[in-house]
Amino acid sequence: MTNELTNIVQVVMPHFEGYVYPNEATQQPLWGILIVLYPYITGLVAGAFIMASLVRVFNVKALEPVYRLSMLTAFAFLLCAPLPLLFHLGHPERCFEVMMTPHLTSPMAIFGFVYAWYLMAVLLLELWFDYRRDFVGWSESTSGFKGILYRLFTVGVTDVSEPAVQLDHKIGHILSVVGIPSAFLLHGYVGFIFGSVKANPWWGNALMPIIFIMSAMVSGIALCVFNYMVLSWIRRKTVDMKCLDVMGMYLFYALVMDTAIEGLDWIHRIYSAEEGFRVIQYMARVKLFYTLSLGQVAFGTLVPLILLGVLQLVRRRVPELQRRRMYFSSAMLILVGVLAMRWNVVIGGQLFSKSLRGIMSYKMEFAGLEGWFMGVVLLCLPFVILTVFVKLFLSEHDQR
Amino acid sequence: MRRLFKMPPQLFRIFLLAVGIVGAYSVARYFLTPPSFGEYGWYRGAALAELATRDQVYAGKKACEECHSDEYQKLLKHEHKGLACESCHGPGEAHSNDPRKDNIDRSSFAACVRCHEANPSRPKWHKQIVIKNHYSGKCTDCHVPHSPSEVP
Amino acid sequence: MNKPVSRRSLLGKIGAAVAGVLAAPAAKAAKAVVQRVLVTAEAPKGYDPTQHKWVMAIDANRCIGCGFCAEACKKENHVPEGPYFRTWVERYIITKPKPGSSAARGETLVDCPNGGINGYPEAPVPKEDIQHSFFVPKLCNLCQHSPCTQVCPVGATFDAPDGAVLIDPTYCIGCGFCIQACPYGCRFLSPVTKTAEKCTLCYHRITRGLKPACVEVCPTQARIFGDLKHPVPDDPIQQFYQNNLVEALKPHLGTEPRVFYAGIDKEVR
Repeated sequence: MTNELTNIVQVVMPHFEGYVYPNEATQQPLWGILIVLYPYITGLVAGAFIMASLVRVFNVKALEPVYRLSMLTAFAFLLCAPLPLLFHLGHPERCFEVMMTPHLTSPMAIFGFVYAWYLMAVLLLELWFDYRRDFVGWSESTSGFKGILYRLFTVGVTDVSEPAVQLDHKIGHILSVVGIPSAFLLHGYVGFIFGSVKANPWWGNALMPIIFIMSAMVSGIALCVFNYMVLSWIRRKTVDMKCLDVMGMYLFYALVMDTAIEGLDWIHRIYSAEEGFRVIQYMARVKLFYTLSLGQVAFGTLVPLILLGVLQLVRRRVPELQRRRMYFSSAMLILVGVLAMRWNVVIGGQLFSKSLRGIMSYKMEFAGLEGWFMGVVLLCLPFVILTVFVKLFLSEHDQR
Repeated sequence: MRRLFKMPPQLFRIFLLAVGIVGAYSVARYFLTPPSFGEYGWYRGAALAELATRDQVYAGKKACEECHSDEYQKLLKHEHKGLACESCHGPGEAHSNDPRKDNIDRSSFAACVRCHEANPSRPKWHKQIVIKNHYSGKCTDCHVPHSPSEVP
Repeated sequence: MNKPVSRRSLLGKIGAAVAGVLAAPAAKAAKAVVQRVLVTAEAPKGYDPTQHKWVMAIDANRCIGCGFCAEACKKENHVPEGPYFRTWVERYIITKPKPGSSAARGETLVDCPNGGINGYPEAPVPKEDIQHSFFVPKLCNLCQHSPCTQVCPVGATFDAPDGAVLIDPTYCIGCGFCIQACPYGCRFLSPVTKTAEKCTLCYHRITRGLKPACVEVCPTQARIFGDLKHPVPDDPIQQFYQNNLVEALKPHLGTEPRVFYAGIDKEVR
């Protein structure tokens, strides 16, 4: 009788335990797979660029064979970077507002400018200065659509004399130097977006931008290893083992630094056990078991550390085929592991309530903007674009 | 004047392109920044006006007094004086603009139960009863909502 | 860059400068046309936001958990059905410690069925096991250093001069950063407008001299509303501050909320 009178509806929300604020009880978290992919893609860009700048700035000659591929990789992935952001906005048609009235206290506001700067002033310019001589040559020797394209890319400048080419190299060097902090800013601000949210104890700490940058470098180098080996396999060319060994070395040390910083974050959290620690511990242990303990830590970090570490110690004793296999599998595992790390940060931060008393679940849908299918498409698209670039700009005869 | 343009051609073209891009951005920003932006702070000042001119759904207690002053005065003399008419009768703006019998809720004892059902979370000073032990008929058999201490 | 071009180029430059000067009013006119598309309403006269400082206070000692406030808010502001609330009421139940456990208290149970808009069902534990129980209405805490307005990338959410924290629904891009940044969970993304939404203190009511809908329908005056710049005689807000020791929520985050709570417990976050 009481129920009839009061007309109380017992609303049961099956997908959370404990107490969550009413606004948090939505079926899907606010930031889903699209926001997981965006830092992943920009991280790959930053890492691939750092890999390339090792050649230009730090004169690591062994990495020359992979320089242009790294730059083109960074470019292809950078072109796809705004897509997940655009799709995730409630009003993508208003996206220009970020550049028209950027709110300077918001880390998100610098996206438009940092992206534009990095795309145009760093990547495109450096690529252009590197390719200029080739553009002039190709525009003269090719005809048809490709020829028009190359002529367009020369921007009407046809001077390829020795002093001009020397100037190109010098400018390329300067751009690489400028590009390193730009790459850190491009990906670091994403880490700061999370690190600045004091309302969320999983996100808001000072190490977040550094962790993002370190894992970006690791993922970018792993991507270059992956791309280089796949491209060589497709073109049936032998891999330059010296180059691969040096890439593997940088990958190992970057991974060591990344693991150290992430480990520090964990140790600090567990040691100081602040207010939200209990709910975070439950969330990480139970809800994120597969993506954190298995995906990110065990397979994404420990196994590659062992594989690459062994190679650092006993490289000479390991035959080439085995070494290639170990590098390739390490790169694959790291790529998956860093994606898992982005997932754990973004989704993990939304799996517990800000009341620190409740836990939510997340079942990804297949279709829709925040579904599996869109995630796969967005991950494959940069590779499709890279294929086009490789066909246009990375000829078989010149794997410089 | 020619000296200025002694830059190597590739740099000069790039410089022109950069100037063009920055110029295009400035023009776009001039056109696309909303007019009242920055009036009070980093937001569209006109938004305040837009938010302030939305329609009401609840009329407010004073609006009821205009036509229902008897009930209103009776309410003020008894224990329910702190209540708004719309607490029990629901949103009243539609009724206030076009007074009819069918666009206001005459209320039922569901409203009585909402507040007066005994609940250990309710403060002790609040009058509450366990309804199934109290009475099985309608609340209005014994109580007058606008003047609760009176007997009908 | 040959010599014969120099006079022509000079004249060309002068011509360009003159055209630039003449273009300024034309550009202004063109801008007005473009921006008329962006503007939707004319500013009404009479209300000056710099002459008011609205504030709300919560007296949890007086809340009976009827849920009229949450229900009224949903209706007044056309809040979408579902887990979207501009304001809500939480119930806290603190149980007695288990006998012999030498603990000060038992466990704390918090619930909020459908935001409290239909009232509350019976308590999930028997009455004898309850040490304390109370209701806490929640809403935007009107922070002085709002983290939500700090992180908006476009300036769509802001602190109005009169103390309300508002969202410009025609400018919000729906990125959700403000929703993540609010420590109190008072914001949500509306599935209807695809923009962020939150308590506006019923801005359309208070600018007309009315009270917010939740304050209007509260039967026990657990929600108290007032203007700090123009206190009325027997102002309930001034009396509240005079008569109560108060708490703010999550003070360690430095948001400096202006909504104070009387009668809540340490378990309330």
